Amino acid sequence: MPYLAIEDLCVSYGGTRVLDHVSIGVERGEMVALLGSSGCGKTTLLRSIAGFVLPQEGTIRVDGRDITHLPPEKRETAMMFQSYALWPHMSVAGNIGYGLRMRGWKAAAIARRVDEMLTLLQLEGFAARPVTQLSGGQRQRVALGRALAIDPHLLLLDEPMSNLDYKVRIELRHELRALQKRIGITAVYVTHDREEALTLADRIAVMDAGRIAQLGAPEDVFHRPHSAFVAGFMGADNALDLMRGSGADLAPAVAGTPQAARLRAHFRSNEAHLAHEVNDVAHDALVLPGTVVQSFYVGHGYRYRVSTGTADVWVEAPEHLAEGTATKVVVPRAALLLFPSDDSRTRIS
Amino acid sequence: MIAAARTGRWRAYALIAPALIVIAAFFVFPLALSAILAFRATGGGFTFDHFIKAWDLYRTDLIFTVGIVALSTLVIGVVAIAIAGYLTLGEQPRAVAILRWLYRWPLFIPFIVTGQVMRTFLAKNGMLNHALIGVGVIEPLQAQSLLDWRGIVIAFVWKQVPFVTLLVAGAMASLETQHIEAARNLGARRLRVLWDIVLPQVRGTLLVGLVLSFVTMLSVLSVPMMINPNSPTMITVDIAYRISTLSDYHVANALCLMSLVVAAGAAWLYLRHAAAAQASGG
Repeated sequence: MPYLAIEDLCVSYGGTRVLDHVSIGVERGEMVALLGSSGCGKTTLLRSIAGFVLPQEGTIRVDGRDITHLPPEKRETAMMFQSYALWPHMSVAGNIGYGLRMRGWKAAAIARRVDEMLTLLQLEGFAARPVTQLSGGQRQRVALGRALAIDPHLLLLDEPMSNLDYKVRIELRHELRALQKRIGITAVYVTHDREEALTLADRIAVMDAGRIAQLGAPEDVFHRPHSAFVAGFMGADNALDLMRGSGADLAPAVAGTPQAARLRAHFRSNEAHLAHEVNDVAHDALVLPGTVVQSFYVGHGYRYRVSTGTADVWVEAPEHLAEGTATKVVVPRAALLLFPSDDSRTRIS
Repeated sequence: MIAAARTGRWRAYALIAPALIVIAAFFVFPLALSAILAFRATGGGFTFDHFIKAWDLYRTDLIFTVGIVALSTLVIGVVAIAIAGYLTLGEQPRAVAILRWLYRWPLFIPFIVTGQVMRTFLAKNGMLNHALIGVGVIEPLQAQSLLDWRGIVIAFVWKQVPFVTLLVAGAMASLETQHIEAARNLGARRLRVLWDIVLPQVRGTLLVGLVLSFVTMLSVLSVPMMINPNSPTMITVDIAYRISTLSDYHVANALCLMSLVVAAGAAWLYLRHAAAAQASGG
């Protein structure tokens, strides 16, 4: 049995089902990211594990112990909140040592543990500082220290980096990953940021409408999405309806193409390119003639919205083209992620 | 440019003038007059005699007043924290809703009506004793009147708890929910959350509510008059007696100034806290 085992969890708010028979296991020492857009149920799942939401059905077990109906204070989980939720009337040491006070530790032992945490998080000398005088990155570290100080069974992180500047976020992301590996804590990390999930997690659970759409290693979820939804969420956000032409060739679906013959294709904008001639294009590549309708400079090149008649697609290219230029979008066969058009849940190899 | 600035300044003065006139005419002037009368000798000149007389005659009542009001303030604080705490941390939605609906009722009942209600409720043959005898808590012979200092405290607490609760519950509701969740997540039970996390963050509001209640109760005449008019009683009863029966405005004004000093003590406590909070950026 996994260290954290969630089985058939159902949560509803009023008449709205937010978690729909969710089952997931997290191994000891593993970090799993719950990835999804707003309202998909990822934070509700995390709050259910923490005990702030009581499920109507299902069980949550940590190390074999059923915690489904325990109050939050008896679960031995530590949660790091999106807003950090540091108590403004306490110092850094007061915040970090609070969980230990609740466990009846002596003042000297608390002080030692707080010092350990401050060293671990590179916050030496900050013990007496009011938390209101800290920067965003420092607050984030204090919140992490407060969660880790009690040596929890499970670390729960609710979008803890969403309030930070990009640069600080990248820096702390790597620090957090290194720290989690070093202390070997089991963690569940909620995020809507694909890159964050890919960088931090051992496995990613992509959530959609209260269900887990796919659970797997970052490489698997990224390269081998099981559904059009996961493909779109993992960056393959160009979507087209295709049909099989002669042999294995693919072509844009035309009006009147029967549903059974249609395929839903997804591809990433950086895996396609623009071409003016199609002579040197691989024979199985998909070629979409179109017109540039929008262009943006994105630093390493340009990002274009190309109208192909059947759909608008996004393509990245190093060269600059004026809006209105006629061009061809070339999508290598390997870049196409294909799904049945009537059922976007199963991928076609 | 300078002329325009001057015109603007006069316009600003003109705007606040009505408020200033009202304060000067109805607050500063009577207060100054009261203070002057308290220090004016019967034959003219300056004297402390009225204060000495007031102290000699009403020292016990003054101490009784401060004691009653301080005790009431303390009980109001405890009850208001308990109610507001349950409204914030309670986990039974129905109980929270009922309490939220009920606790505000006394806000709309004047002190004089509260006094009358308490007379019928707390008397020896009042509703409270009937109820206690009815449920077997006391024997009929054990029934006693609470129409003394206890009655005043009960009336004050009953009347002022909703006001302080309203302020404190509002402040608690504005706290970030995650502050409470973070504490519970780290092992704190709800009572500890209330004490360690919630209360320290609303203590400024609590103090405002308690100081305002303290000053309000200090000036209430109807409740001590109806519940416990005999000595020792509250100083407001003595002031009313000096004026209505003896027409002795000098001693009455001296007693008023003594009350003002007590009220100013409470205000000083509040100001000191506000200054400390401002200094720490809280």
